[in-house]
Formats: sequence, structure tokens, C-alpha cells
Amino acid sequence: MSVTSAVSSDYNSGVSNVPIEHQFNPYSDNGGTVLGIAGEDFAILAGDTRHTTGYSINSRYEPKVFSVGDELLITANGFAADGDALVKRFRNQLKWYHFDHKKNLTIKSAARFIQHLLYGKRFFPYYVHTIIAGLDEEGKGAVYSFDPVGSYEREQCRAGGGAASLIMPFLDNQVNFKNQMDPDSNGTAKKELKYLKLDEVISLVRDAFSSATERHINVGDGLEILIVTKDGVRTEYYPLKKD
Amino acid sequence: MNHGPYDWGRPSDDTYGAYNHQIAAANNSQFPKMNTQQPIVTGTSVIAVKYQDGIVLAADNLGSYGSLARFSDIERLLPVGDSTIVGISGDISDLQQIERILDDLQVQDSYDMEKPNLKPEHVHEYLSRVFYNRRSKMDPLWNSTIVAGLSSTNELVLKYADLLGVTYSSPAIATGFGAHLAIPLLRRKVETEEDASKLTEEEAVELVRNCMKVLFYRDARSIDKYSLAVISQSRKKIDIHKGLRCEDMKWEFAKHIRGYGAPQL
Amino acid sequence: MSNPASINGGSAVAMVGKDCVAIACDLRLGNQSLGVANNFEKVFQFGHVFLGLTGLATDVITLNETFRFKTNLYKMREERDIEPETFANLVSTSLYEKRFGPYFVGPIVAGINSKTNQPFICSFDSIGCIDYSKDFAVVGTASDQLYGMCEGLYEPNLSPDDLFETISQALLNANDRDALSGWGAAVYIITKDKISKRYLKSRQD
Repeated sequence: MSVTSAVSSDYNSGVSNVPIEHQFNPYSDNGGTVLGIAGEDFAILAGDTRHTTGYSINSRYEPKVFSVGDELLITANGFAADGDALVKRFRNQLKWYHFDHKKNLTIKSAARFIQHLLYGKRFFPYYVHTIIAGLDEEGKGAVYSFDPVGSYEREQCRAGGGAASLIMPFLDNQVNFKNQMDPDSNGTAKKELKYLKLDEVISLVRDAFSSATERHINVGDGLEILIVTKDGVRTEYYPLKKD
Repeated sequence: MNHGPYDWGRPSDDTYGAYNHQIAAANNSQFPKMNTQQPIVTGTSVIAVKYQDGIVLAADNLGSYGSLARFSDIERLLPVGDSTIVGISGDISDLQQIERILDDLQVQDSYDMEKPNLKPEHVHEYLSRVFYNRRSKMDPLWNSTIVAGLSSTNELVLKYADLLGVTYSSPAIATGFGAHLAIPLLRRKVETEEDASKLTEEEAVELVRNCMKVLFYRDARSIDKYSLAVISQSRKKIDIHKGLRCEDMKWEFAKHIRGYGAPQL
Repeated sequence: MSNPASINGGSAVAMVGKDCVAIACDLRLGNQSLGVANNFEKVFQFGHVFLGLTGLATDVITLNETFRFKTNLYKMREERDIEPETFANLVSTSLYEKRFGPYFVGPIVAGINSKTNQPFICSFDSIGCIDYSKDFAVVGTASDQLYGMCEGLYEPNLSPDDLFETISQALLNANDRDALSGWGAAVYIITKDKISKRYLKSRQD
């Protein structure tokens, strides 16, 4: 094990000793996939409950979608330690927000705050795909999704994590009716957008996750769907294939 | 004078010898700051499983120096407070650092509280944050740990935490090689919480002892001497059995193995 | 993006229905992120067998010519068209010949056996491992998206019309989530005695 190896030439004046031979990798991938959909007067945030490192299944039930109060749902999927740290920081700051302002945090403000949490670690990022869901100021369903360094957008639906590439086009098609035409228009008009009902959304989410489970090794075991309506937050659990 | 483009104006190497760049370097050591390490003396798997009245936890007593079986009396199941066991695998010096950190935590707790109040959920939270903060400083404690015990509401806690700050909970957990060899055996009996609630203490101990035997057969960095902790909800007590041995082993097959080591005639 | 199989981009998908099969591809040919052509078809016909070829465009063209040559020789020797199962083995052995310097392609085969009238589809990796399938097969840069769409939309025993709708929606929506696929699509619906080919209008971004 040689610690020094000379990388020098006549025109090289830099430090020529190269001690780096093994670098600690501060990240890992804990698998899983998540999905948020906004309805007219509700929003859902769903995630599978499998927790992995490499080919090992660490746990078959490790929830990663959380209800943090103020009818807000949050998930940060990817590197679980970063995800947990982010959610913990958000919960803590939410508590302080209540102490300081004596009012609920709106989802709009929650979204902007999460951007700051993420961008604050711009040069050592949280390795996560973050999605939050809830109701906006008018009581309409809202979903916001973020990239690892805080770029964000409000959307009707978004899939994140390992099987996002499998689920997202399915959602485009079934939620936003992409590439669908009005059958009566003889191919001249797009199918009109409409809000889906809660039971329709739930069955879409279940289809999306059983499809992802079939083709993605890091997805499976269980599906936990958190639903937020004006009456509060409700949780539903459905088993997925364990193989 | 040196006329090379990068060294222009510097004293000529022919006259004064090669320039020592460290003189002007802000970092006056030979290397950039180094805190990334690699495990040196290591302990192998820790395994744990829930049963109807508690948790059984086991880890062997070996401290390996690479492939050398260097220390044979290392205790890797640490009691913390009176209702928690922390099982640690990975670097042994980092294990001892964690031991000191958790000792400080207990001392602090006994100052702050009238009676012992340190429960496994607190120990796990604290430990996982120590891990996460150290990994964020790129100076990790090179361990995988299992925290087990009885919570403040007398419920079972069985959780994992490692050098990256990754945590999870499951009715059967194993670190290192145990994740590959013991988990399939443990999950055959305890796949869910419901399965755990049907497993008796005797069955759980037998199951874990069998796993330790399988690990001794196949994990080259293991030893047949181990400690086993039994956490009991109803007795509100933790028993640590030390110096247990793998029993009823069959090594008949060994003499048929060809191709490695000295040829057998 | 030094992976040769994703320089030019492109995807293809095949599906089995009731007494019918379908195979479809996008029409894009690109140079990394730059779109170059919107008429680059990736499905080729050899008698009553159809081959989808995605991956490095130069290999797509080369292999099309190779299989045209080989199936023509086959037809002269056997005095009949090649069957899908046989053609799948031809593809497999041809690719494996180049095991240590492979063509950078993702092929799929679709067709109906003219003797048994059994629908047949399969896909391959770049060195010829056959992946037989009873429902659908996908290849190309949008394969993840296609797997998601097909798992979600597919059901067994679809009529030719329903199969057309299903495979089209699967391809279109998958392509719209892949920057390297799209720019139009071509869909073949194959039954025992009829082959129909349709071009689809799609997003042009």
C-alpha cells in the first residue's frame, strides 16, 4: 500500500503527492418509490414500505411518507439517512413556526421553506426526491415536488424514487389524459381534463405500484397511502408482492 | 534562475535543489486533511429477532485484524441504562468510542433525571445522529449497530443504525454477513410482527443459536464463542449470557474439501 | 452518454393479442440531444416476421441488411419463408457470433407462425440472450417507461383494434417521457391474413 505516488513533470509545480486511494462514500441508495396526486378537494401521497441496501431487504415495513401536522404530508425518497434528516428538520422548524406565529403553515410556504432546506446543502446535497402534498389556501389538492437541491414546482401528480421512470408516463396518461382524444371528435380534440374522484385515484395508485413492483427489484412488500382531505389525514395500507 | 514557465523567477534547482512546495502550502502537513479511515480491528455480524415476550440478540467475541483472529474476548453487546442493549459490529476502536459516548450519555442522564430514564428509543435516536453527524463531517464511525430494548411504554424496540446514519426497524435484523446468512433463517420463522408474537422465548433462543452456528460454519471472520442477550417484557429484565459456544457441530465434510490449503494425504 | 446504445436513441415494443400481434417503434434518429431525422423506422419485415431494432443506428442498418441477406438465403434453401421462432434463433446466434465485440442493439421479434397460427414475440440483449414473452416485450432508451406503461395498460386476449390502441398509448406516453425517443411512431398490427401499418401523430419536442 503505497501512500505517495509522484505525478510530476518539469512543468508541474503543484503538490505531487497523491494520498487519495480509498474515499469514504457518504451516500447510499435505500430504494423505494413514492407518488403524489392532487384531486379537487383532496391530495394523496403514497410510498412502498420496502427498505433496501443493494440486494438486501432491510425491512418490509419502514414507512417513508409522514403526516407532519397542519394537514401536510411529506416524503423524501432516495438516501434514507438524508430523507430522515430532512423530514426531522422540517418537523422541528414547523414546531418553531407554531410557537412564533400561532398559525398553521400553508403548503405554499412549506414548499418554499423546503427549497431553502435543500438549497442550504447545495454543495453536499440531500440525495433525495422530495414530494409534499396537502390542501392549498382555497381547499384544493396540492402536490409540490423538488429535486435534490431545491428546484420545485406545483403539479397535479408526480412519481419519485427508483421506479419514477416506470410510473410517471402512466400517470401522464391516466391522470392528465396525455395522448388521449375525445372519442366523438374523430381525432380533432383532446380528451377534456377533469378531476379524478378519490376512489379512482386510489385504484390508479394501486395499479401503478403493483406494476412497479413487478418490474423493479427495490419496490414491493407494502403500499402505504396517506390521504388528506378537509377532515384530516387518513392512512390506508395494501400488501404488495414480497419477492 | 529557473526559466520553466511555471517556475519562472524561482531559484534554480541546479543551484539550490528542488523547491519544497510545503513551505508555502497553507496546509502544512504532508497530505491534505485526512480523517477518512478504514476499519482496522473488526467485529463481524450482530443478529437479533423479536419473540412474543421480547428480543433475543447475539454477537460473537472475535476481534479480527484483517484475516487474523487477533482478539478472542471482545464483548460486542453493550448494556446502556437498564433497558437497552446495543450490539455493535465493524471497527472495534470505534466501538469503544461509542461505548464512551454512551457512557457519557448515561452519566448525563443520571445527573438530569431523578431515576434512570434512558430508554432504547432515546439511545437509538442519539446514536443514529452521532453516526449521521460524523458521516456528514466525512469522518465516520465505521460500525453497524442494532439497538434493542424496552421502551418507556414497555414496548419492544428493535432498530438498526449504521455509519451512514441509515436507520430502520424490523422484527428480524442482522448486520454484516448475518444479513445474508442469518436473515433468511430468521425470516423463515419471523417474517412479520404477527409471527414474532407467536414465537416463544425457547424457540427464539434456539433460532438465534442456530444462526450463530451457521455463521460460524460459513463466516471466516467469526468464532464459536459468543454472547447472547435475552430481553423480556414480562420480567422487565435483560439477561446477557456470556461465553456461549456453538454446539452439536458436524465437521465431517471438512476432510472432503479439496483445493485449498495444504494437500491432505 | 458514452454508451453506444443511447447515442442515437429510439424505442420499440411488441405485444400479443387474441390471434394477433403488434409491434411498434418511434421514428427519431438523433445525435445525442440533437434530433437529426424523423423518418428513421426501426421495424423491419422479413416475410411474415417482424424485427424491431433499436440502439446504435449504424448497427441497426447493418443488422437489417444482414438479416435481409440471411432470410433470403434461407428462403432459397428451404423454399419457404422463415417462421418467427426460427428467426428468433437466427437473431440470437448472429448476435452471439459477435460476443466479444457486440452490435450495440436491442432487438425484438414479432410474428404469427404460419403453420400453427400461434402469436410469437420475444426480445434480446445485445449479445443474443432471448427473452421469450407471453404478453409484451420492450427495448430501447425508453424501456423503463415502456415497462411501466405496458404493466399498467396491458391485458390478455385483446382484439386487433384494442391491441392497436393499447400498444399505441404505451409507446406514445413512454416516448413523451424520454428525450431520446419520439418524433412520430409506426405501429404494425399483424393477424393471420392481414398486416396493417399505421403512422401515429405525436409530440414533436
